[in-house]
Amino acid sequence: MPAVPIADDCLFEFIHAELVNYVASSSKGDHDVSTLEYLGFCCGYRIIERLTKDWPRFKDELDTLKFMCTDFWSSIFKKQIDNLRTNHAGVYVLLDNNFRLISKMSSGNQYLEVAPRYVTFTCGLLRGALANLGIHCVVTSEIKTLPACAFHLECWLHVIEFPFPFGMTRVSRLGT
Amino acid sequence: MSRQGTRLDQKKVNSELFTLTYGALVSQLMKDYENVDEVNKQLERMGYNIGIRLIEDFLARTGTGRCYDFRDTAEKIQSAFRLYLGISPQIMNWSSSGDEFSLQFDSNPLTEFVELPDHCLNLKYCNVLTGVLKGALEMVQMDIASCFVQDHLKGDPCTELRVKFIKRLEDAIPAGED
Amino acid sequence: MTIHNLYIFDRSGILLYYAEWNRLKQSGITREEEAKLMFGMLWSIKSFVCKISPLDTKKGFLCYKTNKYALHYFETPTGLKFILNTDVNAQNVRELLYQIYRQVFVEYVIKNPECNLKEPIKSELFKSQLDAFVKQSPIFGLKSY
Repeated sequence: MPAVPIADDCLFEFIHAELVNYVASSSKGDHDVSTLEYLGFCCGYRIIERLTKDWPRFKDELDTLKFMCTDFWSSIFKKQIDNLRTNHAGVYVLLDNNFRLISKMSSGNQYLEVAPRYVTFTCGLLRGALANLGIHCVVTSEIKTLPACAFHLECWLHVIEFPFPFGMTRVSRLGT
Repeated sequence: MSRQGTRLDQKKVNSELFTLTYGALVSQLMKDYENVDEVNKQLERMGYNIGIRLIEDFLARTGTGRCYDFRDTAEKIQSAFRLYLGISPQIMNWSSSGDEFSLQFDSNPLTEFVELPDHCLNLKYCNVLTGVLKGALEMVQMDIASCFVQDHLKGDPCTELRVKFIKRLEDAIPAGED
Repeated sequence: MTIHNLYIFDRSGILLYYAEWNRLKQSGITREEEAKLMFGMLWSIKSFVCKISPLDTKKGFLCYKTNKYALHYFETPTGLKFILNTDVNAQNVRELLYQIYRQVFVEYVIKNPECNLKEPIKSELFKSQLDAFVKQSPIFGLKSY
């Protein structure tokens, strides 16, 4: 097979910025958030499949989350998650102290009101990737001071045999 | 924390994410606009916005100076494709007046996972590139037009982008000078 | 060695950014007026320098010097203009201007999607990065009056 050409890192940042700009300017109200989140979900769902092809199976939810915080995060955002916290009951907080997609914008409160737009896609990306790994959750973000961003994950159910994106499946409560 | 032996290739993952994100963007546009021509136009507009920024990154990274002529421009465009998309499109089919040429692509990261459904035949999937060229060259005082004349995704043997020089843009004279 | 002040203009003459460090005397006119005169002067010098050049110059105007200060000029092919006033002994100022373009302007203006390229730069991060960048330069050095 011929070598696949590799696109430069900055192109993702530029296309992401255009995506945010497009969705934010073409929509009213809540629509922007959900569209960006959905597009992120689609990308996350597909990219994780390619990443984990040759990866050993994950032991459990926490093991999966650790993978997301280290290898997954650093392969996309050039650094690992700085802090992972959990209540061991399906709630996780992933803290990135210098989140790539807002790191060039501000270190402080400037642009604080528009910053959530630039992390919504990534919320979807996380949700999509986890969904493909069998963990269904709600992902929200919290930015107190740029360029730090916390991602809150609330996992509801552990789904076995999951078609894309949500189908009729047997579900069981994840043991904690 | 990470496991031994397996490392994800950051550059490759970023490239794939870029491809997927672009794909998601195109499909969202297809949802939002009924008219495919409008989608092509939107892609070009977004490309323009990227182009006017990307040119600064290109100049800053490569230290490239002004172009001597349009052939020089063609080579610089080619080198930008190498830098940003990892491909070297062939420069060919120069017009006799030297103001028009083609870039021919064998592969392209943008279209790596793409198959066009039948109802999208008028979609110019990579039209963002025409906008990028337009925006980038406008910033260095060159007005150009470009369009896809062949598209691999539509069954053509290759993808060919035709680039035409229109005119040089002149600096505006500051007020009070002449 | 000393760095006095910096102007960044876009192609059309909009003053995108101004900063000063060791500027001991103000011009006595508004910043707006000063920028307009500065841009006009540079435009005139540039075109005159080209006109009377006995050779086919590619780089054109680079700097001028008075007995007290030197003005250094760096223009990108996109028409961005970076102007730095230093003391007369400062070396390699063009290199510094190129680095400001590459490592500060491109990184914190071009890659900040909230920065409108046609408007004066409002980003605080750009401001602080630029300030730090200039201050760590050997040209900034110790104040010598």
